[in-house]
Amino acid sequence: MPDIEIVENLKRDLGEKALELSNPDVRRIFVKVALRDLVPAATILRDKYDCAYLATISGLDKGDVFEFIYHFASPVANINLRTECPRSEPRIASICAVIPGAVLYERELQEMFGVTVEGIPDPRRLNLPDDWPDGQFPLRKDWKHVRPEEVIPGGKP
Amino acid sequence: MSFEIPIGPQHPALKEPISLRMTVEGEVITGVDIRLGYNHRGMEKLAEEKSWLQNIYVTERICGICSHSHATCYVQGVEKLMELAPPKRGLYIRYLVSELERIHSHLLWLGVAGHEAGFDSFFMYTWRDREVVMDLLEMISGNRVHYAINTLGGVRRDLDAGQIAKILEGIVTLRKRSEYYFYIGANEPSFVARIAGVGYLSKENALALCAVGPVARASGVARDVRKEDPYAVYGDLDFAIATADSCDVLGRVVVRVKELLESYKICEQILKSLPAGDIAVKAPRKAKPGEVVSRYEAPRGENIHYIKANGTDKPERLKVRAPTLANYPATVEMLRKGFIADIPLIFAAIDPCICCAERTVTLVSAGSGAESVVRMSDLRRRAIARHRNAPVKRNAVWPL
Repeated sequence: MPDIEIVENLKRDLGEKALELSNPDVRRIFVKVALRDLVPAATILRDKYDCAYLATISGLDKGDVFEFIYHFASPVANINLRTECPRSEPRIASICAVIPGAVLYERELQEMFGVTVEGIPDPRRLNLPDDWPDGQFPLRKDWKHVRPEEVIPGGKP
Repeated sequence: MSFEIPIGPQHPALKEPISLRMTVEGEVITGVDIRLGYNHRGMEKLAEEKSWLQNIYVTERICGICSHSHATCYVQGVEKLMELAPPKRGLYIRYLVSELERIHSHLLWLGVAGHEAGFDSFFMYTWRDREVVMDLLEMISGNRVHYAINTLGGVRRDLDAGQIAKILEGIVTLRKRSEYYFYIGANEPSFVARIAGVGYLSKENALALCAVGPVARASGVARDVRKEDPYAVYGDLDFAIATADSCDVLGRVVVRVKELLESYKICEQILKSLPAGDIAVKAPRKAKPGEVVSRYEAPRGENIHYIKANGTDKPERLKVRAPTLANYPATVEMLRKGFIADIPLIFAAIDPCICCAERTVTLVSAGSGAESVVRMSDLRRRAIARHRNAPVKRNAVWPL
């Protein structure tokens, strides 16, 4: 199926849900939806566009807002679903009910960006250590790594 | 009574050190929990502080076995952002190295699968073969592991006629040996019986859990980025997607065997139609603001990089998803209802790095909390002993 046809179908199926639709490259389609339309849009992609495969979720810190891009792939195209949530109220809905394989990526978003994924089946940390302090979210732009001062046990003060 | 067995985090069975907690009842695994992050290196954050060129070398060090995969995935994305068109000869050399890397990774994996199943001559044969392709890679790039052949706008080293002849010669040898050893595999019923039916992953689960690469293809999901999203040279090449329907470790062996033969074919096509000309174009220092999704079929499955540029000489964001991460939910599913004795084999079926070392596994009694430490070699010995007396599965056949 050529890209242009997919774009037309997406326009029809998503209707007003699609805030922006672009096709910057061959087999690359970007769709922007509002936060509340995320789960319905993912369901439409899975059921009508053969996008049961979610490659990953990318998070982006854009200052006032966080942007999340859900990279879906079907055998004919790579459809990227984009949504934004305000930094002051970082909450998104979990899509694990639609795509069970999304749980690892959602756990990563929680710890790296400090966003609350509502309804996630497993809210634990994914990569960060157990003794990582609360409220530190490494992939936010304002987070800087400060190397802790090395203390040699039994060394000179 | 159920026990919990922690495996790892110091465990090179998977690419990154990973901690698995298995709940077992008797010999049967009833629950698996995966904990990651023991060796989390923060590369995505680091990439935001390095220039476009430096990041090639950062991404190359994400993985040791498929080092070329991440670097290529990154480079082809950045080339799109910079609107560079690498010369055809450069692209052909780049993807020749990709296919050679796939061959060495799959041969390594086949040896590991043989070793874990207690078929050590298979392991020694395939690893001897692997030296042929490692020597070829060393001849092309100067290195056995981190080839560093990619640069923005092409590759760093050219091939001459003598090298091309040597690679073709090597591929002929490899193909002949592969076919012979696979014949041996087919005629060893105990090997086939050991791996058939182990680590079952149904097609529905493979789809739902977003499995990638040979794991998905062995469950009948024909998912291969080289076909679905033919990047760079793959549109011009003739090859087939290898799949199997048995959904078990045997299927994963068969898929990789078939992929080896396809890769030999691809290498020969690339070398026979290698165009003349330059190997690289000059790349600018900065990239215009923009974003790109770059996909690449690594030996273990789809590799995806999301790259965003902000107009400076450094990326705004580089998101990396390695194929092993995508296969973790499927791994949990495969291990469930399996046997303790099958853990090494199912591990090996996902990722080849189990060959690295003899590992320590701690058995913790859930009731008393008492721990007993066994080495991975003992676990393997138990596995072999358990299956020595098992009846040969009469209906298991080598499907090649």
